[in-house]
Amino acid sequence: MPNPALILPLMEDKLLRILWNDDRIDDYPFTYLRGWCPCATCQGHGGERHFVVANNPQLESVSMVGNYALSPRWGDGHETGIYTFEYLRSLSDQLQSEGAGPVKG
Amino acid sequence: MLTEQSIRAHLQQITYPHSRHDIVTLGLIREIAITGRAVVVHLRPSSASDDVLQYLTGRITSVLSSVSGVERVSVHGGRPRDTAGQPSPVAAPAKTPLPGVGKVIAVASGKGGVGKSTVAVNLALTLKLRGNRVGLLDADVYGPSIPLMMGTEATPRAGHDKKIHPVEQYGVSLISMGFFLDDQSPVVWRGPIVMGIIRQFLRDVIWGELDYLVVDLPPGTGDVALTLAQEIPLHGGVIVSTPQDVALLDVNRGIAMFRQVHVPVLGVIENMSYYLCPHCGEREDIFGHGGVEKTGLEVLGEIPLVEEIRTGSDAGKPIVTQHQEHPVSQVFQTIATRVMQLCETTSP
Repeated sequence: MPNPALILPLMEDKLLRILWNDDRIDDYPFTYLRGWCPCATCQGHGGERHFVVANNPQLESVSMVGNYALSPRWGDGHETGIYTFEYLRSLSDQLQSEGAGPVKG
Repeated sequence: MLTEQSIRAHLQQITYPHSRHDIVTLGLIREIAITGRAVVVHLRPSSASDDVLQYLTGRITSVLSSVSGVERVSVHGGRPRDTAGQPSPVAAPAKTPLPGVGKVIAVASGKGGVGKSTVAVNLALTLKLRGNRVGLLDADVYGPSIPLMMGTEATPRAGHDKKIHPVEQYGVSLISMGFFLDDQSPVVWRGPIVMGIIRQFLRDVIWGELDYLVVDLPPGTGDVALTLAQEIPLHGGVIVSTPQDVALLDVNRGIAMFRQVHVPVLGVIENMSYYLCPHCGEREDIFGHGGVEKTGLEVLGEIPLVEEIRTGSDAGKPIVTQHQEHPVSQVFQTIATRVMQLCETTSP
């Protein structure tokens, strides 16, 4: 699994850009990233993962979780999402194959 | 006339370390301010580490300084402009690339006593003999013997900027825990202290431009080796083993360690593979032979047990620097060739 070589928030474009160390670049619009937050508050316990609409989420910071995941902190205080690198890559694949916008789980 | 557009175009020749993408397209440039002949480049906050930022600042300054009409260049940011001292809003991943350093290769063993450090030294030197710029990091915190094997008593120079300059020996840049230890005192390391020291080795050493950095890991697959394998951005790992069946269990541990931290295993090197009689040239498989084929990994080379390896190490003159036509040196040539080929296709 590739690791992020560079994590770059682009605030004016409201997206998070990741340069992976296999040289792929992925862009995650904040609404998309927040919408697919995998935490239990957003997804509940069990059941298929689903998109959660958030109103204009503001990214405040991004932390590393061990060596395997990222944890964004949002302007409304939401910070319990742990996005593994595998999850982030699959989110980007999903975004590309289905076009921008919310998709079913 | 200097324009923001023309400056941007010049900056597009600068690529991010280990990437083919340039820093403008990547979005690292937040703002370019031109006042007369002075150019100020503001970078966006990101996870780029201090040494990467330093590297990029150097590149930007050097590229723009040679643009006609530019007399002064300064680079700001990467950190929030008006909050000096505050940490960046984006944490830096551990495996960020070391600027200027090419492929990083770890040499591991499932257990001690298989000749791992000897292999690391001779592999590094052979890569150097092949025309590469090579660094060697002796991260074997429990028994850092590489300075002895390389025949150097030099100590690294500390620059005025607190950066560490490696010792040069046989054309290889060397940093070892052994430089910082007193021979007589036993070393008792606690985990966080070790990790702090290793991080310093990685980020504060001025390696310069290297094609390969060979890292001698501690023997075994314990805490320190594992943490190092996670912390250092490795392009590949090589496992050293001896032929006995029992050694195979240890090889599998080494494989499991690399797999766990997502480091590609380039292959295994069988050391003390057979005894070469110095008188008649006959070969005796005194430790058995070919055990490592059972691992399913590629066997990068089989190094025979010959006295010259040990005498070379003891004298601080590794065999590949003294006897290049010796069968052992030939085996290292084969290993180096294969490692170079395999590294072309791996990323950390």
